Order: sequence, then C-alpha cells, then structure tokens
Amino acid sequence: MRIATRQRRLLQNTGRFLLNIPLMLVILVPLLYTISISVMPPDEIYGNHLIPTSVKFTNYIQAFTNPYYNFPRMILNSFIVSTTVMLGQMVTCSLAAFAFSFLQFKGKKILFIAVLATMMVPGEVTIIANYLTMAQWGWLDSYRALIFPFLTSAMGIFLLRQYYLTFAKELYEAAKLDGCSNLRFLTSIVVPLSRPALGALGAYVFLNTWNQYMWPLLVTNSREFRTVQIGISMLYDIDAVSLGLMMAGVVIVIVPSLSIFVFMNKQLINGLMAGAVKG
Amino acid sequence: MLNTLIHVEHAMKDSVKTNIPTLRKKKFLSLSEPYLFLLPALIIFGLFLYYPFLRTIFLSMFLTNKTGKAKIFVAFTSNDNYLTLFKDPSFWSSVAVTFKFVIAVALGGLLVGLTSSLLTEKKYRGSGFSAAVYAMPIAIASAAASMAFKMILHPTNGLLNQLMGTQINFTGDSRYALASVVGLTIWLTSGINFIFISAGLRNVPGELYDSASVDGAGYWRKVFSVTLPSISPTLFFQIIINIIGAFQSFSQIKLLTEGGPGDATNVMVWSIYKDAFRNFRFGAAAARSVILFLIVMVITIIQFRFEKKGVNY
Repeated sequence: MRIATRQRRLLQNTGRFLLNIPLMLVILVPLLYTISISVMPPDEIYGNHLIPTSVKFTNYIQAFTNPYYNFPRMILNSFIVSTTVMLGQMVTCSLAAFAFSFLQFKGKKILFIAVLATMMVPGEVTIIANYLTMAQWGWLDSYRALIFPFLTSAMGIFLLRQYYLTFAKELYEAAKLDGCSNLRFLTSIVVPLSRPALGALGAYVFLNTWNQYMWPLLVTNSREFRTVQIGISMLYDIDAVSLGLMMAGVVIVIVPSLSIFVFMNKQLINGLMAGAVKG
Repeated sequence: MLNTLIHVEHAMKDSVKTNIPTLRKKKFLSLSEPYLFLLPALIIFGLFLYYPFLRTIFLSMFLTNKTGKAKIFVAFTSNDNYLTLFKDPSFWSSVAVTFKFVIAVALGGLLVGLTSSLLTEKKYRGSGFSAAVYAMPIAIASAAASMAFKMILHPTNGLLNQLMGTQINFTGDSRYALASVVGLTIWLTSGINFIFISAGLRNVPGELYDSASVDGAGYWRKVFSVTLPSISPTLFFQIIINIIGAFQSFSQIKLLTEGGPGDATNVMVWSIYKDAFRNFRFGAAAARSVILFLIVMVITIIQFRFEKKGVNY
C-alpha cells in the first residue's frame, strides 16, 4: 500500500517534470545553441553541426585579444557606466524618498505626482531631444552622456519611499529629540535598515543599465566609449562571416547578467516587480 | 537698580538682535531642507525628462535643419509635421504594423506566461529549476538575445532552418519578418510574464479549489472557472505591461530587420529612429514621438480606470 502511493507519487512527479520539458526547451535552446556555436570551429558551423565535435575557445580568445574589436574596453565601459548609474540612483533616490516619506513641506504632493508622472513618458519619446542636448553640450562620446540621464528614477524613489513608510514614525521623532540631523538619520539609521530595498534597486538598475542598447548606440561613436551591447552587434557588422565570434560575444555579455539573476535573484525580482508597477 | 535693569534690557535687546539673523538662517534652512533632499533627483528629471519632453513637443512644430535646430515654424500650416504624417500612407502602415506587433506580443507573452505558471503551480521535485528557467529571460539583454536569434534564424546555417530542412530567410522575407521579431519579443518578455502570473496564482485562495473539487470539477474545469477568473486582474495588468513594453521595442528591430523588408517591421520607435538619425528629419521624428507618447498615455489611463473598477469577481 505504502509502496503503491510512493510509486504513484514518483510517477506524478515524473509526469509533471515531463510536461515542463517542451516549454523549458523553448526558453533554454537559444542560450544552449549560442554557447554551442561559440565553441565550434568554423567548418562545423558551416557544416551545420548542432553540437561541436570538439570544444574550441578560439572565438573567446579572439574576442578578448583582437585589438580591432577592443572588446575588453567595452566590457570595462559597461561596468563603469552600470556601476556609477547604480550607485548614483541609490543616492539620489534615497535622498528624495526620505523627503517624501519623513519630511513635511509645501508642494510635497505636487512634487510627488511630478516624479510619478515621469513613469508615463517612455524613454523613446524624449530620446531625440536628449540626443540633441548631448550634441549641444559636446557630451557625445563620453561617459557623462551614458551616465547622467539615468542618475535617478521615479521607480527607485517610489520603491524606497514605500519601504521607508513602513518605518515607525517614533523612530524618527526620537532621533530628532536627540538632536540627530535629518541627513545623519538617513545615513546612519534609514539606509542600513533599508538594505533589502536598496539591494532590489541596485540589482535592477545595474542589470537594466548593462542591458541598455538604444541610448548608448546613439550617443557613442568611437570604440573607446562603446558599451558591450553595441559591441556584440559590431562583431557582426565588422565580419559577418565569423558567426562563432559573434556568439562568443553574446555569451560574454550574458555572463554578468546571468550572474546577477542567479546570485541576486530575489532582489532582482523585487526590483523588477516595483519597476513594472508603473503609475 | 534702574541702571542695572536698563543694562539687562539692553543686553537682552542686543542678544535678540544678534540672534535674529541666525534664527532666520536656521528657519530658512529647515524650511528649505526638504527641497535640498529632492534637488539631485529634480535636477536630473528637469534636464533629461521634463526639458526634453517639452523640447520634443516644440520641435514637432518646426521644420529642422540637419543638426536638429528648429528653423521654420510650420504648426497649423500646410507643412505641419503632424499633417504631413497623417497624409503619408507609410505612417499609417507603421501604425498598423505597430499595433499588430504589440497585440501579438502582449497576447503571446501572456499565453507563454500563463502556461509556464500553470506548469509550475503544483510543486514537484525540480520545479524550482523549471521556475528559474522560465524567469531567466528577464536577465537577458534584448540586444544579446537578438544576436542569438539572428544566428538561430540564419538562412543557411541557422538552427531553425536546419531543424525544418529549409533555407528560409526569416528576417528578410516579408512573410516571416514580423513573426520573427514577435517570436523573439515573446521569448524576451516570457520571464516577466511568468513572474507576475505565478505570483497571481499563489494568491488564489486554496478553498476555492477545494470546493471546486468537492463539486467534482476536473483540472481544466478548475482552470477555467476558478483560476482564470481569480487572476483576471493580474492578467489584465500583465497585458498592459506587455503592451507598453512592446511599444518601446527597438533593439530587436534594429538588429534583426531594420524595419524591413519594405515596411514589414517598421514599428513606430524604429520610424522615429529612422526619421531622426538616418533622414535627419528631427521635426517629423519629434511629431512621431509625441504621437507615441499620446498612445501610451491613453493605454495608461485605461489601466487606471479599470484598476479602479476592478476587473473580476
């Protein structure tokens, strides 16, 4: 009897797993195929192999060492830009969220609506005017152009504010009575206590910046300031024959994204959910 | 005695006098402090959101030169950028393509998300892994995925043609180009669809299923009369997210089809890019941007309305 239920459970388990396989393949195959092509020698790619007979890392070595592609520089650029934007948003959003949740002032409601309203404007709508601004300021082809427009976000302010609102008002009042300044209260009490929310914001913003495509494409021209996402498409433009090199590039830029997904999964999903709850 | 009193009074006056400026300063500081906290964020929003937004509207009323300078005011004249667009059949075909694309992506994404959520709803050994796989596309950049799909769809050496034993030029054939970018976009958005819909599923009260079971309802019956009605607000919300996201798709188009062949995948964001950065018609591109904004705004307002009314029960 007990064995029968155990067997049935095993069968049920296997059945459920098998049901998942087709859809899991649809999601996974593009990645596995990319990896497979990236380690294939050219004759096998053009011989239409699906799985390489032997694993070769020539494409990766090419991507990293060929000075013509300058891929390492692009990886560095993406890291610099994503990290700065992430840290910048953490600072500006913490400050603004603090004002919106702990302080009382004239125009609070209107300013908050003005911040939230920015979520209604897709970035693509303002992208031409922003590009023209960058051209006027002589900011094209610089880190400034890649970083400054993204140093704050309504999503970040909203996410942190929601978190701060859960703090007890007494905490703030007690600190004030003890003569603690607002800035000190923010840096030494609020920020340490809101690490989960900051982590969510950080993971989400880093990933989004790392994955950006349209804006870096417009404002950078030289290989010196190109980011990786532009870099992988350039690997194709330069040499449409080296499909393996192109796929190696894709794998290289996906590794940091996937690492965030694996190691900061919870924070990323929390950030994503806050980011999608627009308006 | 009187002398001392007067002295004290003087002293007090003096102290009051000297204190007034510092007091004022303090008061001013504490009054302006909240705004100082907001300042960094507001400067960024001002420079890179409010200002360019207004500038886009402004530009849309002008003919511009090659560097994007507004030259001739044309609003309400026969050269009006909007009027020119509305008279241009390729604008309307771009709108039509955009709507086809958006609807296909929104519904396709929803279907994939719903399927993956239902498949992992009941836990089994390894369901955590399946859930991670379904969520994974949220981390993948659209540019990276586009390059991977470029390889998969490659006319001679791509996976899809190999599997089917064909040599179809998916991205270059107007019969398949739109379907290709739709497929890629559904793949890209399947992660967020899975995350939100499975979160919605977890919130369905278990008693509803129990009482349905007591009534003798089978699996599909339960899906259609318990699950779907219960998560309809989530599904509605997710459709809106999909729609707004799809309106903004760019990398897929740029990297796979460049809006072609012909106008087959010429969605609005691509036409904005092409007008501004290939034809240097910044005024016309600005007008397209304003139209895109209005469409997205209308959809957001619809969302607000429905959220207030509630979609289900």
